[in-house]
Amino acid sequence: MEKYQKIEKLGEGTYGIVYKAQNRETNEVVALKRIRLDNEEEGVPCTAIREISLLKELKHPNIVGLFDVLHTEKKLTLVFEFMDSDLKKFADAYGGDLDPLTVKHLLYQLLCGIAYCHRNRVLHRDLKPQNLLINKRGDLKLGDFGLARAFGIPVRSYSHEVVTLWYRAPDVLMGSRQYDTSIDIWSVGCIFAEMSTGRPFFAGNSIDDQVLQIFKIMGTPIDTLTGSLPQQQQQQQQQPVMVGLGAANDDYARRAWPGCTQLPEWKSNAPIYSSVPLEPLLPKLSAKGIDLLRRLLEYAPEKRISAEQALLHPYFDELRNISGGNNAI
Amino acid sequence: MTRLSLRNPLLTPEQIVQSPSQRQGMSQALELDMRVYGCHLIEAAGIVLRVPQVVMASAQVLFQRFYYLASFQDYSLRGTVLGALFLACKVEENPKSIRSIINVLDIIIKRDRGYPEIVTDGYDAEYYDLKNEMVIAEMQILRRLGFNVQVELPYGLLVNYLRCLEVTEHPQFPQLSWNYLNDLLRTPVYVCFQPETIACGVIYLAALKCGVTLPTSPPWWIVFDANEEDIRQVARAAVALHERSRLRIMPLDSDELEMHLQGELEDHVKATRHKIYETANISSTMAPVASAV
Repeated sequence: MEKYQKIEKLGEGTYGIVYKAQNRETNEVVALKRIRLDNEEEGVPCTAIREISLLKELKHPNIVGLFDVLHTEKKLTLVFEFMDSDLKKFADAYGGDLDPLTVKHLLYQLLCGIAYCHRNRVLHRDLKPQNLLINKRGDLKLGDFGLARAFGIPVRSYSHEVVTLWYRAPDVLMGSRQYDTSIDIWSVGCIFAEMSTGRPFFAGNSIDDQVLQIFKIMGTPIDTLTGSLPQQQQQQQQQPVMVGLGAANDDYARRAWPGCTQLPEWKSNAPIYSSVPLEPLLPKLSAKGIDLLRRLLEYAPEKRISAEQALLHPYFDELRNISGGNNAI
Repeated sequence: MTRLSLRNPLLTPEQIVQSPSQRQGMSQALELDMRVYGCHLIEAAGIVLRVPQVVMASAQVLFQRFYYLASFQDYSLRGTVLGALFLACKVEENPKSIRSIINVLDIIIKRDRGYPEIVTDGYDAEYYDLKNEMVIAEMQILRRLGFNVQVELPYGLLVNYLRCLEVTEHPQFPQLSWNYLNDLLRTPVYVCFQPETIACGVIYLAALKCGVTLPTSPPWWIVFDANEEDIRQVARAAVALHERSRLRIMPLDSDELEMHLQGELEDHVKATRHKIYETANISSTMAPVASAV
């Protein structure tokens, strides 16, 4: 540990203490993540193995850099690029009121990082504001790959207890084990909405409640494959809503999710909700932003936009027009 | 073009020509036998532990990779087998307890050696030594492989390729090619070629064995990013393996390796077997392996 001088304790990570430290030779400031190896029954923690094996390979401006791994008898120390803050703290510092251009910059960087992961066949699986690191220059980088994994083709079924509840995709919430890059995209959508409002978009306190929170806003999904609506649709009289035919079609398209009733934990008893307009919920978000958000929060995983496509969305045209302003916030 | 950074690391020509064990004086033949035996242990233990195929396969690839970076003389076969299994279970999200892995492997080795199949006591020295060996080996594998423990396997590709070539309905073809993939884990093929090439190699061989003609103009493997020379080499490795039989008694650590080189290992195992039966006065009824899990 001679090489680094500890400056202060930053916090407790998934599997150990994180310190801010300085390289004695180069004066470079880094974050040290210490992993104790004295766990008799576990050996090297799973999360550490995954994080190191993936981060050693993933090199991108929007992914936190892993500079070095130091071994000693009793512990492993990961040397990370130092980042001042994370998205949660950053947003809190502004009282949750980020200006729209900042939101756009951050989302763009988030998508760049995710697109890179997905191109390299890595799922992050645990995207949330606390895992998105931010430095003083306004750079956003994905961190905490403890739950990430490389995926092969075709994708196998993975353990489904993964993404933090609020950012978890509905297919995963309802027991899907065949998930892929689309689960990260749903999380991106939730984070986008949260940045725009200052509050978590779907803040459930249990799996059932989380599903309900999603249905309340996005509408209860309709299985367009079987054509059958959930049981209660027939039983309970739907509230008469004064909508034109166009709006009704929109609602149907938004709730359409082919095969959703086949999910292992499909909520057949869930109340029937129409989808609600997103504009009033996200007053600060432009029409293009709303459109992108809808594509990120698409019910059917196979229809959910990819990170690559999302980067080309007109919502980001404004950034492309700013000359040379790469990370200007 | 983006580099696919999580591709399997392959051997350099220098590494293929001479492995660390051979540099330290081990014969090529013995090294091959050791690799085959280690992979056999991993597979047999994986079956008893009921882990998915992908765990067994990944563990074997890690085991193979490791012995291109370190020697059998310096790192015991038994430890590496334990460490590779332990590690692969974690990487592939199928964690198994240290205890169950040790017990199962221990029983399999005892069976191979004709020792009474008694499960180690969680408190005895034998168990502690094995546990120590395993935890140290896990760390050694991680260090030597630079934490590069993600393994990309060709099983999924094979299924896709068989579909493309429309041979999934053939009575033997799919199973035969699948079996070749398993067999090849015991050869260096997985550290020499990428999964596409390996999948094509087993299809090539299975087609020959089954007398199935696959599209030739253009040759079918072109579509799957493989070249003929490589896939023939994969096929040859599978054939060569079939001509080789697995030995039941192989040196598990450096002491045994020494004995093996002196031609004394077989006798040592025999004597040990004798001694255990005599001192413990055990009847021939043996503990079933399943109880070890």
